[in-house]
Amino acid sequence: MSTPSRRAVITGIGIISPIGLDAASYWHSLREGRSGIRPIQSFDASGLPVRIAGEIPHFNAKDYLEKEQRKSLRVMARTIQLAVAGAQRALDDGQVDKSKLDPTRFGVEFGAGLIATELNDLIEAACVSANCQPGRVDLEKWGEQGIPLIQPLWMLKYLPNMLACHVSILHDARGPNNSITESDVASLLALGEAYRILLRDQADFFLVGGAESKINPLSMVRQCLFEHLSRRNEEPTKACRPFDRWRDGLVLGEGAGVFVVEDLEHARRRGARIYAEIVGFGAAFDPGMRGDGLARAIDAALADAGIGPEEVDHVNAHGLSTPESDAWEARSLHKVFGSCSPPVPVFAAKSYIGNLGAGGGTTELAASVLAMSNNGPVPPTLNYEQADPDCPIEVLSREPRPMTRPHVVKVSFTQMGQCAAVVVRQWS
Amino acid sequence: MRRRVVITGMGAITPLGHNVRETIEAQLQGRNGVGPIESFDASRFPTKFAAQVKNFDLARFIPDCRRWMHSGINSQFAAVAAQEALEHAGLLNDTRVDRNRFGVYLGSGEGIQDFHNLLSWIYQAYRRETRQLDTATFERGALSVFHPERESEQELHTTPAHLAAHFDLRGPNYNCLTACAASSQAVGEATELIRHGDADLMLVGGAHSMIHPFGVTGFNLLTALSTRNDAPEKASRPFDLYRDGFVLGEGAAMLVLEELEHAKRRGADILAEVTGYGSTADAFRVTDSHPDGRGAIACMKAALKDSRLNLSDIGYINAHGTSTKVNDSVETLAIKKVFGEQAYRIPVSSTKSMMGHLIAAAGAIELITCVEVLRRGVLPPTINYEMPDPECDLDYIPRTAREKRVQHALSNSFGFGGQNIALIVSRFSS
Repeated sequence: MSTPSRRAVITGIGIISPIGLDAASYWHSLREGRSGIRPIQSFDASGLPVRIAGEIPHFNAKDYLEKEQRKSLRVMARTIQLAVAGAQRALDDGQVDKSKLDPTRFGVEFGAGLIATELNDLIEAACVSANCQPGRVDLEKWGEQGIPLIQPLWMLKYLPNMLACHVSILHDARGPNNSITESDVASLLALGEAYRILLRDQADFFLVGGAESKINPLSMVRQCLFEHLSRRNEEPTKACRPFDRWRDGLVLGEGAGVFVVEDLEHARRRGARIYAEIVGFGAAFDPGMRGDGLARAIDAALADAGIGPEEVDHVNAHGLSTPESDAWEARSLHKVFGSCSPPVPVFAAKSYIGNLGAGGGTTELAASVLAMSNNGPVPPTLNYEQADPDCPIEVLSREPRPMTRPHVVKVSFTQMGQCAAVVVRQWS
Repeated sequence: MRRRVVITGMGAITPLGHNVRETIEAQLQGRNGVGPIESFDASRFPTKFAAQVKNFDLARFIPDCRRWMHSGINSQFAAVAAQEALEHAGLLNDTRVDRNRFGVYLGSGEGIQDFHNLLSWIYQAYRRETRQLDTATFERGALSVFHPERESEQELHTTPAHLAAHFDLRGPNYNCLTACAASSQAVGEATELIRHGDADLMLVGGAHSMIHPFGVTGFNLLTALSTRNDAPEKASRPFDLYRDGFVLGEGAAMLVLEELEHAKRRGADILAEVTGYGSTADAFRVTDSHPDGRGAIACMKAALKDSRLNLSDIGYINAHGTSTKVNDSVETLAIKKVFGEQAYRIPVSSTKSMMGHLIAAAGAIELITCVEVLRRGVLPPTINYEMPDPECDLDYIPRTAREKRVQHALSNSFGFGGQNIALIVSRFSS
């Protein structure tokens, strides 16, 4: 049960993104209108139909860990390293003195996805067991000779709960710890859950967010097979164009978005700078993007916040940039906000960084939180050039726009229909 | 006064049976679900046995099962257990309940990778001359052999999405994957969603199978599995001196959680009440639990505090009891730290001795076991418990079931990486 006096505030932002490796540089790139979508450099992607992504060019996880902690990087896939780095930057940004925190009241919650094995980890085992017949592994050889050639902690390097686990270990966070594995809605669900845990007095301090990288050969193959990816290989910065009439698919990105979220009194006691307050959360399911699931999630979040749609400055959209998804999202937003005057415009951060999957919701929300705390302006959505009659919304584009109302609604959803919405209020 | 959450339906498919009744009756008879691995050739693996679901055919349970045609067996297990739980609760086709207020929270595992094609193309793309993998060759090869739907079905959000779509559950929808604590955490957090008012009904639980080449490989590399290949039926022996690791199980377990007044209004059969939930992290190591049981102690204490019960109220503990050296002694230590002298009075058993370890789904089936303990007044045994370990000196209900009336039961689940969950269920009384 919520203790009415408790309030959850955001006091730190950690961003590891294609357009900046901390909150300040992320904000700077958003202000400059700089896209992070580029040709894939980290491996030879020439066998793929899609060769562009929001890749982070110079990420070195060692930069984020103390010397004695660095040996643990060997058991972290890139996704986990991004999470650990994002968490460190959030603590830095929040100027948190860890020695003053109560470890038992320190929670960690991450959105996470399926983490693909690095192919190199399995080369030796494959060579002794998959050399007889194409498409077949000799399981006797694998069992006898292959298994001993794989590093003992191989599996732990790829478990989705290891984002939150490593973060909890590095920072001695012994409170509630969860890993939400719900595709593109994961980090927003994690944020909503952490917010509720703070309100019901089971923790005082949280590192909450998400991280993901699918920019590796195996994940990219899988995504090319079943996701609707943009094929604009020749003009990467134009590829991700949420709500634009000529959008042709999503663009993958990688990164982490992590918040320090804490109880207001806790934040005040440690003299923290407060960015914004989380005031509402809602979730719903909609079978296959047909019905009113997203609208219901937003309505629930607005009701939880105790506000009406006309008190919302802008919607920080999911904005996937596929034809179907954006049209359904726009119709859903129209349903909730359509009667507001002046209209509630929409901003889509994926136009800068691509789809960070389980890390997307919180990384995208950070753009609005930074806008709020800098007193605007809200950055424009890139590549929104021609309105689509199927998307009956006003998209913030071209010009940055000052904030005029105190709330932002952030939405995320999956293409199978899991939806979530969070309401954040400007701090004053 | 907070909203109370009760259990009004349960479903399961496990190595011991195709539904809750078969599973529980087998447990109470001390039956063993462990045998040689049949789904692939494990004859040269360090571990050649597991607790498998027998004779599974989804179409026998769900005639129109096209939705799961390309799903892993994990999602198919989930469908069967969910259908049983919803039917049990009288909610399969009940149009009177508001489906917008009916959500899903699973702690469910991943689908199963295309082991053969993946390794085959790693091999074919490897260039001995340069000792490098030619990724472009791998990409072209994998694109030509991987099956798009089967790849997509491995994603972690597909299992709860299919359940929600098939059974028309339009409320909040989650999956958490906190290793072996996952489905217990799902029950706990879903309880909180109902308490807070986000939903009136939640379908909760988990589904998982890691009985496939990569799964067994991964756990064998961690030396977490028993290798008692000469006597598989004796391999899962929680708390016994000669335990040597856990035994992989598979299956699914689902429960319907419901807000009490909602359940009363529709005249539902109330099976038990969820009264306590505790969640903590060890924050110690990714490979080992904390040697003093720090996180385990804290989560049991948190669940007790949440339930507002006294130590003396707990009449049975369903242990995490994996049958690994470390877990069983640390869990014993933690129970003693929490319950003090009373620890020796409380019967503790590990049903993993019979079902193996259902990994993400373990917590939910063990919670169902606890509910049946409350309902039947019979405690399931720890089979294969033969030689006492001085570090494990509690009453583990060795080998045969025992009659005892229990008002409140506690279930522990601890995940690799340090997540600890404790749940308490109570006989319902208004």
